[in-house]
This record gives sequence, C-alpha cells and structure tokens, in this order.
Amino acid sequence: MTEEKETPEESPVASDEEMVKVHAELHREKPPPTMGFLHAPLVFVFLFGCLVFFCSIQLANSTNKFQLHPPEDLVKLSPEEKAALKLERKAESGKKIFAIRCASCHQLNGQGLPNMFPPLAGSEWATSDPGLITKIILNGLKGKIEVKGETWGLVPAQNMIPVPISDREIANVTTYVRQAWGNSASEITEQQVSDFRAESSGQTEQWTGEQLRALYPSGISDK
Amino acid sequence: MNNIFKFSFGILTTLAFAWLAFVVGANLQYGDLSPEAENLEDDDSREPDAELFPKDMPGLAKQGAEEYLALGCVSCHTQQVRLFTTKDSEGKSIVEGGMDVERGWGKRASMARDYVLQDHVMLGNTRIGPDLANFGMTEKDNDWLHRHLFEPQSLVPDSICPPSPFLYEVSDDPRDGSIAIPSHEDHGDERQKSRYVVPSIRANRIVAYLKALKQDYELPELPFVQAKEEKSDTNATETKGIPDWIRYPVPSSALEDLSSQMSAGKEVYTKIGPGGGGCVTCHQPTGLGLPIAFPPLAGSDWVKGDKERLIKISLFGLTGEIEVNGVKFNGAMPAPGIPLGSLTDQQIADVLTFVRNSWGNSASAVSPSEVSEVRASIKDRAPTQMWTAAELTSHSKPAQ
Amino acid sequence: MKDTAEQVIDRSAKTVVSFFVASAGLWLLAAALLAYVAAAKLTDPFFLSSCEFLTYGKVKVAQANAFVYGWGGNSIFAATLWILARLSQVEVRGRVMLLFSGVLWNLAISFGLLGILDGHMNAHEMLEMPTVVWPVLFISYAIIAFLALVIHRSRKHNDTIAPQWFILASLIWFPALFLIAWNGLEINPARGTLPSVLSLWFGQSLIWLWLTPMALGAAYYIIPTILGRAIDKYYLAIFGFWCIAALAPWSVVHHLEGGPVPMWIPAIGTVMSIAMIFPIAVASTNFHATAFKDIDKVWNNLPLRFVIFGTISYTLSSYIGVIFSLPDVAKLTQFSIINEFHFNQRVYGFFSMIIFGVVYHMLPHITGKEISKGAKSFHFWTSAFGVLILLLAYLIGGLTHGVLAQQPSLDWSSSVISSVQPYFKITKYAFIILGFSQLVFVINVWKVIFPNPFACCLASSSERKGKTA
Repeated sequence: MTEEKETPEESPVASDEEMVKVHAELHREKPPPTMGFLHAPLVFVFLFGCLVFFCSIQLANSTNKFQLHPPEDLVKLSPEEKAALKLERKAESGKKIFAIRCASCHQLNGQGLPNMFPPLAGSEWATSDPGLITKIILNGLKGKIEVKGETWGLVPAQNMIPVPISDREIANVTTYVRQAWGNSASEITEQQVSDFRAESSGQTEQWTGEQLRALYPSGISDK
Repeated sequence: MNNIFKFSFGILTTLAFAWLAFVVGANLQYGDLSPEAENLEDDDSREPDAELFPKDMPGLAKQGAEEYLALGCVSCHTQQVRLFTTKDSEGKSIVEGGMDVERGWGKRASMARDYVLQDHVMLGNTRIGPDLANFGMTEKDNDWLHRHLFEPQSLVPDSICPPSPFLYEVSDDPRDGSIAIPSHEDHGDERQKSRYVVPSIRANRIVAYLKALKQDYELPELPFVQAKEEKSDTNATETKGIPDWIRYPVPSSALEDLSSQMSAGKEVYTKIGPGGGGCVTCHQPTGLGLPIAFPPLAGSDWVKGDKERLIKISLFGLTGEIEVNGVKFNGAMPAPGIPLGSLTDQQIADVLTFVRNSWGNSASAVSPSEVSEVRASIKDRAPTQMWTAAELTSHSKPAQ
Repeated sequence: MKDTAEQVIDRSAKTVVSFFVASAGLWLLAAALLAYVAAAKLTDPFFLSSCEFLTYGKVKVAQANAFVYGWGGNSIFAATLWILARLSQVEVRGRVMLLFSGVLWNLAISFGLLGILDGHMNAHEMLEMPTVVWPVLFISYAIIAFLALVIHRSRKHNDTIAPQWFILASLIWFPALFLIAWNGLEINPARGTLPSVLSLWFGQSLIWLWLTPMALGAAYYIIPTILGRAIDKYYLAIFGFWCIAALAPWSVVHHLEGGPVPMWIPAIGTVMSIAMIFPIAVASTNFHATAFKDIDKVWNNLPLRFVIFGTISYTLSSYIGVIFSLPDVAKLTQFSIINEFHFNQRVYGFFSMIIFGVVYHMLPHITGKEISKGAKSFHFWTSAFGVLILLLAYLIGGLTHGVLAQQPSLDWSSSVISSVQPYFKITKYAFIILGFSQLVFVINVWKVIFPNPFACCLASSSERKGKTA
C-alpha cells in the first residue's frame, strides 16, 4: 500500500478532454464486425429476447386483464346463493327495524312483556298468514286478543298503534319476525305488502281481533 | 445524444409513459370510485335503502388521522390487508386466505374503494407493528387503547411500540376521568407503582381514529374470506345455501349479547313511557345527574361496584341521604319503570349493563338471571318500600 | 504537469463545490445521528420516549429525508457541477447564484426537517416535508440545475459520453418527478389510494432516477479517469442507459403487490423489475470488466476502491432486489424490514460509497491539498464493515421477519418481533460504526476545505471575495 501513488493525472486518458474524445470515438465507430462483435451482442440479444418473452408471459398472466377489481369469478354467485344472501340481508335489515320500532314492547327476544304486550315468538298471529301480521302493522290492533292461550289487550294503553314504515321496511321486519326466535314461516315480499296495503285501504281504524279472525279464519285457530 | 433538447425529450418521454400509466391511467380508471352497496339484484340495480360502504369517519376520528400522521405511526403500521388470488383445479380464481386474514387483521382483503373517503390514506410499507386497517373491529375499549397509547408495555410486555406519555397528564392518584395504568416490573422502578392518566384531546382523537378504522362490510368486488377453521368441519358450513367461502359477519355470541344489552339498555335508560325506565329524566343523558338534586352515575361506585346492591336499588328505589363521588345527596328515587317497578329482569339487566359501561364506566355486565336471583331473595319486601343507603351499605345484614 | 485549463476549471469550482461538500458532510452526520436514535428506539422503546419531537416515526422519516435531500442533494450538486465542468472543459459560472441556491436548498431542508419533527408531516413517501418548503426546494434546485445545464451547453466538444448522459438525466429527472408528485399530491390531489400509488412511485423513483443515475455517471467518470483506460465494452453503455430510462420508472411499483390498487399496477412493476436485470448487467459489465483489468490499481487507489465497492454493491443488491420482487418472494417479505435493506443498500452501499470516492478524488484537485491516506483508509474500512453488517442484519432480519409474520399462530410482539429484535440491536451497532466512519469522512473533508479551523470563516469568506471579484 505504501508504494501506491495517487496520481491519476499520470495516466494516458486521465485528461478529461482526452477521455471525452476516446469514448466519443468508441461510441461513433460501431464495434468492429469481428468474432468479438458476434459473440457478446448475440448472447445479449438472445438473453434479451428470452427476458422479453418471459416478461410478456408474466405480464399477460398477472395483470388481471387490466381490470380495476379482482377477478370476477371471485364474487360470482349462483342464483341460489344470491337468493340466500338476499334473504339474510333482509333479515338483518328487519332486525334493525325491529329493534327500533317494535322491541320496546315486544322485546328484542320477541317474548313480549307478561300481562302487557303479547309475545311474537311462537305466536300464530305472527307466523300464519302473511296478510295477518302485515295488516296489523299497517293499521294497528286494539281490543282483546288471545295469543298462546292468554288474553291480551285488556286496557287501552296496551293497544298497538299503526307503524308508519314503508312497504319495504314492513317486508323486511315481518320476514325477520317470521323467521326469528324459532319461528319458521315464509318470507314476505315487498309486493305482497303493497297488495295488502291496497286491500286494507278501506280500514281507517285499528283492527280488532274479531275483524282479523273473520278475515283469516285459518290463521287463528285457538279461541 | 449530443443535443441536450433531444436528449431531454427522450428521457422525459420514457418517464411520461410511466406517469401516463400509473398516474393518469390509474386516475381515469378508478379516480371516481364512490361508496357502494353490496349488489344482489339480478339487474345490477341498487336496492333503494341499501347502506353504502365505506362510511365517512366521525369528525373526531378525522382529526385523529392528522395526529396519527403527525406522530409518524405509519412508519411501523400498515393499513392494508393484502389480496392474493390463485386458481383452483377448475381454473376458477379463488382467494388465498393469506396470513393477514388468518391473523385476524380483517375479514377480507382491502379494496381501493375502502379508502375513497379518507383524507390521508396511510397504507404504510413496513409492519413492525400489526396492521391497523381493521383495528376498530377488535372491540378494544377506550381505556385499553389509552393505556396502550400511554405505555404499550403495561398491556403487552414484549411490545416495542414507543410509549406516548406526552399525550397524557400523569398523576399518582385517581382523578376525574383518569385511567389506571397497570403496574409492571419490566421497565424500571417508576413503573412498578400504579399510575393514573388523564387523556388529552389529542389522545382522544387518536383513539377515535383507531376505533373508526374498520372494513367490516362486504363490497361488490370482494366478499369476506371464510375463516379457516370452518374447513375442518364441513357439515357446519351448510347454512341456508350460502357458499362456504362467504360468511356474514356474525360476532361471537358474547359480544352480541353485550352489544344488544347495551343498545337495549340505552333504550330503557332513555325511554320515558311504557317499557322504559325513564332514568334519563333525573340522571341526564350524560349520566352526570344534576348538582344537589340527582347523583351522577358516571364514575359512581354505587354503579360500578357491587351488583347486588345496584339491582336492589333498581327493583325498589332508594331514599334518604347518600354520598356519591364525594358529594352528599338527599332525595328519593322511585323504583324505575312506567308504571313504577314494572321493569323485567331482562330490562333491568340491560339498563344496568348500560350504565355500568357508559360515560367512562367499565364494569361487568349484569345478566337477567342475576336480577331474578336478587328479586327472589327479597320477594317479601313491600313493593313501595324504598331502600336507604345505610340499609344497603351494611352488607352482612340480610335485606328484609 | 496538469494543463492549466483544468486548473482554471478546478479553481472556478472551488468555492461552490467546497460549500456543497461541506454541507453534505454536515447532513451526513445529522442523518447518522438520527439513524442511531431511530435504531436505538427500536431496541429500547423507552429511549427518549417522553420527547414528543423524537417519536420513532418522526425520526425515521427525518433521517431518510436528511439523508436523501441533505447528503444526497448537496453531494449530487457538488459532483454534478465539477464533473460536468471538467468534461465540458469550461469554468463554473454563476457562482453567486449557485451559492445562494445552495443556501436556500439547505435552509429549506432544515425547515422541512424541523417541520417533520414538530408534527407537520405529509403522508407522502420521501415528500414528508411540509408543503411550504416544496417551492423553495424546487426553485433552488431549478437554479442549480439550470446553471449546470449552461455549463454543459457551452462545452468545448460536441460529443457527449456516458457520465454526461447519466448525470444530465439525473439532473432533469428530479424536477420532472417532483412536479408530477407536486401536482398529483397537492395541487390536484386524487382520492383513495391513488395518492399512495403516486407517492410510492415518487419515493422509489427518486432513488432509481435521481440517486442511481448520478452514482452510475460518477462511476463511469471516475473509473476510466483513474485507471487511465477506456471503459470496456463501451458500446453497451448507451443500451444500458436507455434500458434504465425505459424500465426504471415502471419497475418501482412492485411494492404494492396485493395492495388495494388494481392488480395490473404491481404486476407491471414486478415484470419491469425482472427486466431490470439487463441494465444492471450492462453497468456491471462496463465497470467490472474495466476495473478488473487493473485490479492492483483499484486496490491501491482509495477513491477507486470506494467506487468499485459501490458498483459491486450495486450489482449484487440489485440482483437481490430483483429476487425480492418476484411475487412469491414478495408475498413473504413485502412488509418486513427488508425494505430497510433495499433503502440502505441503495443509499449507503451504492450511492454514498461512490460519492465518497468522488469527493476523495475531487477535493485534492480543487483545493490542491492531499487528504491523509490513513484517514481515508480508515474511513473505507469502517464504512465497508458498517455497511456490510447493516445490510446483512437487515437482509437476514427481514427474511426472519417476513417468514415468521406469515405464521398466524405466532403472537405478533412476543414471537415475531422479538425474533427480529437481535437484528435491530445489530443495526444499532452498525449505525454507531457508520456514524463514526462518517465523522472521520467529515473531518477529512473539512480539514481540506478549511485548512485552518480557527480562521475558517475568515479564510473562506476572504477567499470567496477573492474568487468572485
């Protein structure tokens, strides 16, 4: 190390001017067409070709056709799956509506309150004919009724007022009620609700138990 | 190469191609993404009352994002759950659950749409700490978060996350709204005694931001990934024809109970009318009561402490002098409910769980069975006979 | 003897280049200090924890910015001006403007870093400095770049050679990138993850299109100058240059693999990173084929030894980078501290080592004073050792981190991160070694620039007067 001399200016091309000249010359005169030329560049060209080929394959495979979203078959659902999910979403929405509109009397668990508000769980008022539960929500209910063997609605304070919500919300909440807490009745669609609304348009007051029993004799069995 | 203008043109053109693709092209492709609802209709129409996701963050959380950014949290925490897809044997693309989801950092991979409402998108590129894209879904309460912000090592001994004591006011004694920091011995003497901290507004912002970080909804482009353990028992997945790789977010039953108890309890607390407790008229929505007249529930040992005592008060009411949070009150509280004393066991359990876990209180939930036990133990008491504080504090004495 | 033209050029460059080198040295020390603080904070979370100005996140960001803009920027200005002036055979002109812009640049960075530490950080990679300093940075850069281009335009020979291409490209790419980022992030900000794509692209491109071409250009200049022989297979250089120009801007976005962006963005990035094999091979062929013809001289000449260390590190680490961009590997290591490996190999192992060589080669020419060989040698060995330790720790630590993080059953902090802890400790010691070695560098440089430390201000100001008059 000691004998090393840091004197770059001794070297032949050390002058910058010369360096520019030498390299510019190298650049201008294309590499001579000798074996050297054939060797290195050909290897390079071959490798470069391979690389381009490999990269294009990779590009074609991994870019997901330049789409914004992940491949569609990730989310593609069969009609049955779609229907099942729709029902589940409907119940979710119904559960929220129930918690806001209904649970203060009928309770979140659908058991109602003893001596005050009748249960919905296991009640055939809720689970029998779709029209029955829908119409009660549309117009309310007053007077004495019998649910699960007990008599309810003894005082006016316990009457049910109409619930002012849209057909869609009614469809969601009734579907939820009919399928929650062990109930397993059919789904109610928005179309059905609007039909029932049209049917009961003449009814201006709250229903009474007798009226409904007359309308749906099959729905309410026990007296 | 020798003409500087041609040369510049050349090198800027190569740059411009990349710019056109990554900036201009990407912007054209998804610059106008907006919140969207899950799409289940056949004709791709959106249901009229469908909820759109993502939702905007609350204002406090947005301020929290600024604090998060200013402290440089993004250096160690990413906010992206990665998506890796692969092909199954039939050539259909399937999501590889990947470790991000398996680690519980999310229910699905993050999508571009998740970020469209955020002012500062902090995806991050290094995970020295865990991913936070779905931190709000971990159900950590505010106190836990404050403790962790103040000194992570008090909760996670091995954490190398630096503490942020400058966001808190520290004292040796409990104070209004202070949070106790568990003592631990690993890091120096001063941490062996218990300390109490009062969070600054900045700390509250950060906590609000962390709780607002969640991608707990499905998007049309990507559903939730099915949890791994369900692979092992195949019969459990057959629910109502829903494919087994897709799963609606059903929280664990305990959490569901708690959250439904909380919301039902809140309703009992605030509702003035049949089925409600009407508590709010005296104790106020803030749980602070009114000076001189009505005692506070927030921070009160009567609320946070012994459950039995609390249930008894809820069943029969309370009268006479009582000391709450160091202040004496002298009034009467009838048994809650309209009509009086009409609350069910379930409702009492709900409302007590609610007051025990609101306004900074954090105590165990009350179950309906506990209420009914207490109710049974004092069933002979006359319905109008309110308790006195003295009667309740003498623990050993059977309530009769 | 030297011809007088070169001496005249050197003298014309003396004040300006000395200023940039001296301030670059200070930034290097600042960055080293911040790097140590950040590393120490990872090993002991309570280290300086009550000081809000020094949270880990802030220090980490400030360190990267001080390193890239402070050390990188200043040393790039010094090397650019001197090499361009030498190759063009013209004097450095507009010295007052250059000094003025240099002061502006350094002030802007100082305020920017204070802004970061004070909590006014931006969320953009490598643009974390508060937006108010961006115009100052841009204007001062533009003035310096313009004057450098003036030097190049008035060159004696029309022909240009490889070092000039690379240096000019670096000179022009930076403001272009900066304007693109400025526009996309602040003037017309997009929503959602688009700014993240842009800021990642900017942050990585800054390294690939600003620091890298500068260092490659310097290596293309230093190697033939000191060895006194033309670059071997020089006809490949132009090919390598245009490959970098065409591929590098595309290749950097592979860091978004799996992220919340359209899948084509990281996919293109991955493919282009693989294609980067080519320009890397070209540069490494050019450098090493030339250097290994005269291996003794490389070993014995310290500036050259620094440069060759840098080029070898460039070759190796770039190939490692290509491997880590492959999707299956990226999946493992993407969010691990392997990112620190990539950053440090590029700015420490490659860029800084070459710039050290350039400075050691340049300063004796412009000041006429030799730097003691022992000090340079000491600097080389401590740097080389420190960089190797640092990079190995980050590489092995990053692999450990990435692989363990893929095991969902392992608890995050008690299993994954605590297994990486030992590597954090090693990096802390590596940063101490590097900080020490950089202190030696700065002392070496300052001793030459300000030969009389007690009268340094006096001397430099009087010299400045003498020169500019």
